[in-house]
Amino acid sequence: MKETEKRWLTVLKIALPLCLSYIPIGLACGILLHAAGFNTILAGLVSVLVFSGGAQFLIASMLTIHSPILSIVTMLFFLELRYALLGASLSQYIRGTSRKFLYIFAASLNDENYAVNYLKFATDKEWKPKDALMVEHYSLLFWTMSNVVGSLIGAGLKINLSIVEFALTSLFIYMIVMQLKNYLTILISVLSGILAIIFMTLFQSTMGLVVATLLASFVGFLIEHEVVKKGKRSKLLNTIKPRASRHTISRKSKVSEES
Amino acid sequence: MEMTTMDHFLLIILSAFVAYLPRFIPLRIFASREIPEWFNEWMKYVPVSLFSALVFKDLFINSRFQFVGVDNVTKLIAAVIVFAIAYRTRSMGLSVVLGLCAIMLLSLVL
Repeated sequence: MKETEKRWLTVLKIALPLCLSYIPIGLACGILLHAAGFNTILAGLVSVLVFSGGAQFLIASMLTIHSPILSIVTMLFFLELRYALLGASLSQYIRGTSRKFLYIFAASLNDENYAVNYLKFATDKEWKPKDALMVEHYSLLFWTMSNVVGSLIGAGLKINLSIVEFALTSLFIYMIVMQLKNYLTILISVLSGILAIIFMTLFQSTMGLVVATLLASFVGFLIEHEVVKKGKRSKLLNTIKPRASRHTISRKSKVSEES
Repeated sequence: MEMTTMDHFLLIILSAFVAYLPRFIPLRIFASREIPEWFNEWMKYVPVSLFSALVFKDLFINSRFQFVGVDNVTKLIAAVIVFAIAYRTRSMGLSVVLGLCAIMLLSLVL
């Protein structure tokens, strides 16, 4: 009994930095959802069922401009397609679990707890699928609570929403920075941004985001492929800041497997 | 067209559905078979591309899908600040909190 008690505490400590940074974002999201017309119960419900900062901010902002339900859901689908990548990359670590476990695990997988879990799986042999699920649930708890409180704050206070929305922009910028590992990624980042502007103004819809993402990432893939094929050390792939990110670790583990 | 609570509820259920499928299907498929290498190599660049597209949208596109140039000067300066904070501290929490402080102060000043 004592052993299991220790485990939840260990996992909580690992999940805590993520949980704490969810508080300001969740509060902001709750405030925006309230402004979009969601009551507090719905704000809690959407946080549990959708559990995605980007998606919830999108729902809020599209509701305030009176988009129809169908176009919101279509947009969400394209936004949430990226989760396919997270699932694909974690799947190697959660092999051999039951199908029921997969159902539950998938429900509360998102960008941020993925990052925590991937790092743990890649570096810690003791890290088990059920620990990963616990991380997901801790982050879900903090996220939902913050959204509910944010919704209540929104009901009580008048707040400048364009400022609050910047919480999510900040989170995205942070995510970009964590992905920048060489000059090629910087190039792809800028390319994707420019393509996003072009395609969004062209299509008059957020489909432009998906097209820009697929194109820019494909260009990244092609360039890397060319550079690696030529076999010379290109400046493009030089690491700009060493760190223990999931990419660095996955690359290292590949190297050590080969050697 | 005002939406009712029931509309919102329906929206949440549909959203949960489209949010769940992309999470579950790859987990289910790849839990039992190998992912092709080239697909992995391509997908590696998806996160940075997606987040960049989202940030550029927040900074340069308005809600009517028009390009606004450098009109959002407060946001642009705050974004640079967040970038620097994220790069130096590598902390998600600090990036978000200081980012919010930056944009609040900047919008008072500018």
